[in-house]
Amino acid sequence: MRPFSSFAIFLAALVLAGCKREDVKVYHVPQNDSTAPPEQIAATDQSLATPPHLQWTLPDGWQEIAPSQMRVASFTVTNAAGQTADVGVIPLPATGQEIQLVNMWREQMQLPALPNATTAVAVAIGGDSAKLFDIASDAPIIDGKFRARILVAMLARGETSWFFKMTGEDSFVVSQKQNFLQFLKSVSFGENAPAQIAAAPAAPGESGPSIWTVPTGWQAVDPGAMLLAKFLISSGEAKADVNISSFANDGGGLLANVNRWRGQLGLPQVSDTDLPALATAVDSPGGKIQIVDLSGTDAKTGKPARLVGAVVPQDGQTWFYKLMGDEAVVARQKDAFIQFIQSANYANARNAR
Amino acid sequence: MLATHVKRLIKIFTSLRLTVILLAFAIVLVFIGTLAQVDEGLYNAQARYFRQWIIFGLDLFGHKIPLVLPGGYLIGTLLLLNLLAAHIYRFQLSAKKIGIQITHAGVILLLVGQLVTDMLARETQMRFVEGETKAYSESPRNYELVFTTEDGTNGEQVISIPDKLLARGGEIQNPNLPFTVRVKNYWKNSDTPQFRAPMMQNSPPLATNGVAVNFDFHPIAETKTMDDKNVPTAEIEIVSPSGSPSDWVVSDWTGDGAMIEALQQSYAQQLGADMTQKIIGDLTQPQFIFADGKQFTFGLRPERIYHPFSLTLLKATHTIYPGTDIPKDFRSRVRLQNPQSGENREVEISMNHPLRYAGLTFYQYQMTAGEAAQQAGVTPSSVLQVVRNPSWLTPYIGCALVAAGLVTQFMFHLVGFISKRKTK
Repeated sequence: MRPFSSFAIFLAALVLAGCKREDVKVYHVPQNDSTAPPEQIAATDQSLATPPHLQWTLPDGWQEIAPSQMRVASFTVTNAAGQTADVGVIPLPATGQEIQLVNMWREQMQLPALPNATTAVAVAIGGDSAKLFDIASDAPIIDGKFRARILVAMLARGETSWFFKMTGEDSFVVSQKQNFLQFLKSVSFGENAPAQIAAAPAAPGESGPSIWTVPTGWQAVDPGAMLLAKFLISSGEAKADVNISSFANDGGGLLANVNRWRGQLGLPQVSDTDLPALATAVDSPGGKIQIVDLSGTDAKTGKPARLVGAVVPQDGQTWFYKLMGDEAVVARQKDAFIQFIQSANYANARNAR
Repeated sequence: MLATHVKRLIKIFTSLRLTVILLAFAIVLVFIGTLAQVDEGLYNAQARYFRQWIIFGLDLFGHKIPLVLPGGYLIGTLLLLNLLAAHIYRFQLSAKKIGIQITHAGVILLLVGQLVTDMLARETQMRFVEGETKAYSESPRNYELVFTTEDGTNGEQVISIPDKLLARGGEIQNPNLPFTVRVKNYWKNSDTPQFRAPMMQNSPPLATNGVAVNFDFHPIAETKTMDDKNVPTAEIEIVSPSGSPSDWVVSDWTGDGAMIEALQQSYAQQLGADMTQKIIGDLTQPQFIFADGKQFTFGLRPERIYHPFSLTLLKATHTIYPGTDIPKDFRSRVRLQNPQSGENREVEISMNHPLRYAGLTFYQYQMTAGEAAQQAGVTPSSVLQVVRNPSWLTPYIGCALVAAGLVTQFMFHLVGFISKRKTK
């Protein structure tokens, strides 16, 4: 064993010699060729459907960044201490239901909903008069430490409502409020600005072969920015409408969407275990469709309403169909609605663009 | 006392028994490595069994075997020492033995050369689209989290945190960063980012800033094959000295041109051009923070090695034998520019004709050009393999020495034998 001990000592020395550590490297790069976005994405020649020609004057500390979904402009606001806030300009179809959005923002701030939008102050956007909502959370909802605040200015211009929204930590947003108001005053909608929103894909039925067989009595109307297609069914005073949209992957999932619809009818939320009782599966050439049939009170109009909703997974996308409105109308149209969904030829949807 | 140890060591190291034992272990190691490669992939098996000094425990086909074995480095080093010791100890400068000495020298050179190759060799890749100029190459397997900021001169300062540090998690600090980076999660491979549909009640976002607000990322199993690549993603927190943290997600998905182009095509089919542009814009939007009065842009990307020269891809040509699908030639015409030496010339790199420059060898590795590029609707592109291997000549010289030594020794015996026969 003696020779072995010598050997062992020798080995130990050897092993210690060979350890490589990973370290942080710092170096200098001469030209500005780092983190250049891939050239293929630039695609600025693919112009959007004429976004309005907005102009503005940016206050100090505000920087424009690439606009995210639904927005025509985005800014980030920072100060020397590293606090940040986010500002966005969002045009949406004028629905006359701004209270819905105000309550959505209140929900984001974890505040209860309001029956009507009374907490608005008049403010100037360009040369027009707009409403300003100032919503601050009570609880510390940012990382459990900071309160949040949303400042939203809303301007109705023809068919479009324009929202200028600033979100961030409470005290920082308060400190930026003057800048925000200055920014709003400096906004101008260029002369050529069509009062129109950057369109989502055009209703497939309008260009190329239609996707569905539309029942008689259904009137196609402008779907707006978030829907793919929309139909209005009216029987005298009683009305119902059919909304169709589609999102990538599962679009939030069946439960989330059923709860969203329940919320629109003023019904309490359900959990996963309640779902099988509510949803029925119906066959269709495209696959199985999950249908829910709900009755409640329309949160927007306060009248009793019925909603038949369908979730159709299709090839990496999920299509949502909603028939909602007067109870009698919906009851009469339910079968036609289901046949309408079953008539969908999704191959035509893909070819429309 | 020391003398006895040294004597014993010399005895061990010059013994033939040691050589046999080491060779036996080497056979076992190669066998184990071959089996392990099936599940773990080539690079992982190499790293686990060959680039180690000691192996603690084997993991084969799902079974853990508690064995301790010498690793590749240990066996190689000991064999080398064994050979050197025997060589020196038994060195006799005689004509008869000179062949054997040369052979030994050749084998020593081979072993040393392989050791140097393992320590110093580095392979990276340069991918260009026609017309693109690059002054750096990228590692095919290592990634880095970089923070870039302007440093006053005409250029940028890059602070790079290697992926191995990120994988360890915890806090990372550097005097050049006025904040601490806290790694919450590091996923070696992640799935295609999923767009968070607006106004849908999805689960809360992974982070409240940047790309994570609009996209969800999920980890998936590491890919072990040589054809696929891993796309890492990390959840990090940037903590400024005042203590307020901001959370972010960084991912290689947001910077890889080819993958983004594929995503773009898939979204365009489903959602149309307008929504696609907005979504892709979201995904590729640069993420940055302000600290200490400077803007730090950051992202996760393949590790870059910058070179003092640049290459521009002028033309990528892919020819096939006429009337067949069989490739005949892959050829890249590049322009080499070196501001320090003033060089500015055109060079052609093709299969079997690499470019050797600045201690590096540039091989034609992959290419998408000609009809394939036309059909896919992309600009022709080429990928060069950039190899740095200072000891690339040692196998040639080593083998030549071994051959020369054997021939010499053999000739001696042959000549001796023939002369003996003659005198009989």
